Amino acid sequence: MAIREVREIGDEILTKKSKDVSKMTLRTKILIDDMLDTMYEKMGVGLAAPQVGVLKSIVVIDVGEGPVVLINPVILETSGEQTGEEGCLSVPGKWGIVTRPNYVKVRALDENMEEFEIEGEELMARALCHEIDHLSGNLYVDKVEDGLHDVQYEEDEE
Amino acid sequence: MTKPLNEREIVLGILMDVTEHDVYSHIALGNVLSKYQYLDKKERAFITRVTEGTLEHMIEIDYILDQFSKVKTRKMKPVIRNILRSAVYQLKYMDTVPDSAVCNEAVKLAVKKGFGPLKGFVNGVLRSTARGLDKVEYPKEAVKGLSVRYSMPEWILEKWLQEYDIGMVEKILADFQKEKPVIIRCNTSYITPKELVERLKSEGVTVMAHPYLPYAFSITGYDYLGELSSFQEGLFAVQDISSMLAGEIASPKEGDYIIDVCAAPGGKSVHLADKLRGTGHVEARDLTEYKTGMIQENIDRMRMENISAVLQDATVLHEASVEKADMVIADLPCSGLGVLGRKTDLKYKVTKIQTDELAALQKEILNTVCRYVKPGGTLVYSTCTINRVENIENVHWFLETHSEYALDSIQDRVCRELQGAVQEEGCLQLLPGVNDSDGFFIARFVKKGSSS
Repeated sequence: MAIREVREIGDEILTKKSKDVSKMTLRTKILIDDMLDTMYEKMGVGLAAPQVGVLKSIVVIDVGEGPVVLINPVILETSGEQTGEEGCLSVPGKWGIVTRPNYVKVRALDENMEEFEIEGEELMARALCHEIDHLSGNLYVDKVEDGLHDVQYEEDEE
Repeated sequence: MTKPLNEREIVLGILMDVTEHDVYSHIALGNVLSKYQYLDKKERAFITRVTEGTLEHMIEIDYILDQFSKVKTRKMKPVIRNILRSAVYQLKYMDTVPDSAVCNEAVKLAVKKGFGPLKGFVNGVLRSTARGLDKVEYPKEAVKGLSVRYSMPEWILEKWLQEYDIGMVEKILADFQKEKPVIIRCNTSYITPKELVERLKSEGVTVMAHPYLPYAFSITGYDYLGELSSFQEGLFAVQDISSMLAGEIASPKEGDYIIDVCAAPGGKSVHLADKLRGTGHVEARDLTEYKTGMIQENIDRMRMENISAVLQDATVLHEASVEKADMVIADLPCSGLGVLGRKTDLKYKVTKIQTDELAALQKEILNTVCRYVKPGGTLVYSTCTINRVENIENVHWFLETHSEYALDSIQDRVCRELQGAVQEEGCLQLLPGVNDSDGFFIARFVKKGSSS
């Protein structure tokens, strides 16, 4: 259980392709736990292994419906379209408008290396696309439609 | 990935505006929903539901919080207070959100807003609330108990209990908490009710006929009203049935010259223009340019020709209008106690003194504007309240001070279902929970003499 350092845009590792995981090891188990801890601590809804400096094809997501761990994920099917705000733990303090499919179907392995399929709509579909992009070295900043904006933290009274 | 805009953070922003900065909830919510139009339907629905629900049940929520928190709600920091309120609303009224998610999200939000040190407090209060929610005991005293259960300020309850029996009051309170459908009026100048129904159905809207008027419908199942092309084309207006009934009871003759003295946002004026079938003229007056601007917008969208928006203070006599109008419509500023079901936060904002001042203002305006009516012409007085001082008592006062006026029978102007709501032949008092509408009062007077 540990919080790992999140690599930020400009770090070469974020542009590299991740390698498939062939077997579950203790190190990989710890990595997954740390990724979840890090995602929750930083208030992300998803995190990919390259973001903590490990080029392994692993993604964790929690859009408010509980944690999902995906190993070697592959997008099987997409449909529809949604346009909305997106941010990334590797691009702190910024957000941008990105158009993504509204529905995505993904095949992956779970923590026991068993194959499963997962479908997502709206936010879940967005998170799946965003995280799987990380595994091939792509960031959302190349997809934004209206440039990057600064996140404004309102100062509250008292 | 991160979500830059969290729906709970948006809700908090609206609650802060409404509870700490006196912004009306429908305005704050409307601004947010039109600003974030690209949010998906689910998120928009969540924001609306939690904001309105939290405000609607606020007295009850604060009472519940006080059972589980050592620091009383009114002593908490505003941000913390509002985070906790919306969380308790979700715990109590939203089964689809798991308790653990409510607590976690509230804690995260508190941290994000810079209240990290209060993380434990937020977590502790919410977890014990989640556990003990079913065992909360409500106050035993009648007024206090009703006040907490229906989140209604005690002074309003005491006032109503003088006018209605406790069963009736509870009926009204229960109705306020029911979800209110959106009612629309067909713009019969441009489309028949039947065609409108077809058109809306083709746009994916669910349409139901309203029992009181053939051109009124309730609609559900759309995402954002402003996006419907039928709305943009002005084929219908959003208007409560009670306000339409005022237009129906007015029922002007073709060619009439009508003055609506407190017209904004113009729903009734436009309705009357529609009823004149392109003849005559409606002068829709109000006090400020902001208000006449709203009326003008309404006129433009509904594409009405025989109507104009005019800046004029209703308390100041406009000499040139004296005895010129075939009909004067006086839907006057009132305490709004009849529409509490729609304006969730209004009940916390009105005060006893305001309601008395309003009754005086209504008298002042009636004294002035009744002079605009031609002999033989009609005066329609209405308010959106169920408060007797502003309604039937004002009618009695008016008849005593203006002997040239008499109540005009309205029985043949309202449908069968509403005959029971007719008082003294010329007045209609609609009560939420009894009638299928907001609380509303309408009186029709006729000025003696011949119109020629």
